Amino acid sequence: MPPANPPPRPRAAAARLLDLLVYALLTGCAVVTLVPFAWMVAAALKNQTDFFTSVFLPRGDGFLGVAWDHLTLDNFRRLLVELPIPRAIVNSVFLSAGLSLLATLFCAMGGYGLAKYPFRGRAVLTTLVLGAAILPPSLLLAPGFELVWRLGLLDSYAGFLLPGLTPAFGVFLFRQAMLNRVPAELIESARLDGCGELRIFFQLVLPLVRPMTGAFIILSFLGTWNNFIGPQLILQSAERQPLAVAMNNLRGVYGTDYGLVMAGTLVSIAPIMALFLLLQREFISGLTAGAVKG
Amino acid sequence: MPARLRRLLTFGSPGVALIALLAAAAALILWLVPVAPREPTQFWIFAKQHQAVYRDLLVRWNRAHPGGHVEMSLVNGAVLDQRLLSGFLTGTPVADVMEVERSIAGRAFTGPIADVGFVDLTERLQAEGLLDGINRPSLSPWTSRGHIFGIPHDVHPVMLMYRADLVEAAGIDVRQIETWDDYFRVMAPLRQDLDGDGRVDRDLLNYSAADPYGTEVLLLQAGGAIFDAAERPCFDRPGNAAILARLATWLTGSHRVSRFADINTASGQQLIVDGLVVGVMAPDWLAGTFKQQIPGLAGKVRLMPLPAWQRGGRRTSVFGGTMLALAKTSRTPEVNWEFAKAIYLSREMATALYRSTCIISPFKANWSDPAYDEPDPYFRGQPVGRLYVGLAPHVPERTSSPFNMLATRRLANCLTALVAYAEDRRVDEPAALEAEAQRQLAAAQREFTALIARNVFLSAPP
Repeated sequence: MPPANPPPRPRAAAARLLDLLVYALLTGCAVVTLVPFAWMVAAALKNQTDFFTSVFLPRGDGFLGVAWDHLTLDNFRRLLVELPIPRAIVNSVFLSAGLSLLATLFCAMGGYGLAKYPFRGRAVLTTLVLGAAILPPSLLLAPGFELVWRLGLLDSYAGFLLPGLTPAFGVFLFRQAMLNRVPAELIESARLDGCGELRIFFQLVLPLVRPMTGAFIILSFLGTWNNFIGPQLILQSAERQPLAVAMNNLRGVYGTDYGLVMAGTLVSIAPIMALFLLLQREFISGLTAGAVKG
Repeated sequence: MPARLRRLLTFGSPGVALIALLAAAAALILWLVPVAPREPTQFWIFAKQHQAVYRDLLVRWNRAHPGGHVEMSLVNGAVLDQRLLSGFLTGTPVADVMEVERSIAGRAFTGPIADVGFVDLTERLQAEGLLDGINRPSLSPWTSRGHIFGIPHDVHPVMLMYRADLVEAAGIDVRQIETWDDYFRVMAPLRQDLDGDGRVDRDLLNYSAADPYGTEVLLLQAGGAIFDAAERPCFDRPGNAAILARLATWLTGSHRVSRFADINTASGQQLIVDGLVVGVMAPDWLAGTFKQQIPGLAGKVRLMPLPAWQRGGRRTSVFGGTMLALAKTSRTPEVNWEFAKAIYLSREMATALYRSTCIISPFKANWSDPAYDEPDPYFRGQPVGRLYVGLAPHVPERTSSPFNMLATRRLANCLTALVAYAEDRRVDEPAALEAEAQRQLAAAQREFTALIARNVFLSAPP
């Protein structure tokens, strides 16, 4: 019969101590990471005078030395009632969600084609796609702007969505995922069983690259959500502009209402945080797919 | 879960389904609340504060001109720059009427005069007798090779904003100050080590070698220039080296009196709030910025004319600027011109602009506006508008060269190198730095002469 309270083995105690140290370090890092976020929340709840007199919450005679009565939701009220932010949020959601879904679909199709369909010039096309992925996006601004204008799509949602439907980076990413995760034998046997090409793509191939889909959709969503210069160039009417542009307009040339900007920043990052929490499993597994060769 | 839904989720996930749902919901909202059709005349501005000032005037204009409606859009400055230059170079659409900041406007003057995308307003301004009514130096940044391409929005004279609370607490009488030497001598007791660590924490002037705008302000005030009247570079003209040498001694060595608080950042503003800088070179717009952004300084600051470089010298300079320009490609040129006059000549606009931003009008007829005489409690009851208006005729003329931004930064590089030279050799006196300053400026001159020579439109005789 073993003793009731066996003494801890030295190895287990050392492991526990190591865990403790690791967690303490991680907690420290988390606190450091969260400080700017806490500062932003505090700034969003302060008026302009308190912004310069206290780093976080305004100092006063209240509980914990904080002037609780100085805290205000006025920045949020102005943001959502007086300024065209609600419309900008809807625009951002439409553009980001629409573009990320469509871009994921078309990139997956493009990547599948390059990976699994043998055709003349495939190697050249793949090299071209890779070459296009290397081009810095800012280089394409001016010609892209002119192209959209010549197509008569300036100041339209289509003018913004169309050029972003099949980014070269996405096509190449999905090509690699298809090569690694979709066995050619599986596609062949589906064909032998009489499965159509579209059905093979949607019911066989896409589920196999699901982690990549999740990762790419969130990357694409984030990219569009934060895109500033593109919408500013293409979407010229204020009613069509997304949150990134509306947020920038909160900054004045002669000065900035910091509380308002911080409230706007909070509003703009909230949907992204919610989305990341929902898709984090796919995102992480998509990013690490292929990292370890099984 | 129904089989169909389960099948749908085999290639997606609840997150993907949510994104699809969001896209559908947003599309439905956008379809139900469509964007209003655009007005025939587009008016771009880049400053949020201007938008608030023009809004009422615009509503009245549109009510009074059913056939000439104008739509105002707030466009980020960098994007306005891109759209404007793309429009001028490739024919993509630009606004009919637009406010353009000085750093952007110059770039549009790069090519042959006939190809500048703005309407040449010289004849219209002369024919309608408007030219004489405008503060003359305020036209200079918008005039290229003798042609005026914009109506000035402002004058932007510069004064010195100082911490009156600190000055009074130290018993200093600012009436003794006429020159920069006076200023640094009289204010010297305020230059202090506040925390006892042996290093000076509070300095007398907000200025740094890395601040090209500050250097331009001071150079212009001192009568220096980096472009001549024909828009040719003149870094090496007599006098520039002496100015630069003197500025270097403000920044380093035993005469150091400056530290930098970037007025465009919260951290820089915090330094000023904390009293670590006594004086700030403040154009009218910056006075407005302080009022809006730093209410905590109310009653603690005052304004005085910039100290001169020598007795009887110029007591102001100029910093920033905006013009109203009309696009050549516009299909509504007459509406544009009438609209431009309606907003820019308006006394009501001038008053509203002053009350909202402290910016004074470049139109002399507006200078009698009683709003300029109102005591401003933020500046301890000083009539801020009147003080700036008093300096407006004396602001220095400026170049409209497309290379000015680049040249101003190059000048700042010369000053930085000069400061490093002074530190290396422990040189404290301006006279001992002049030769090195001249060497730096001569190098900049050679560089810019070659750079501009490559632009055949600007180097060729007009």
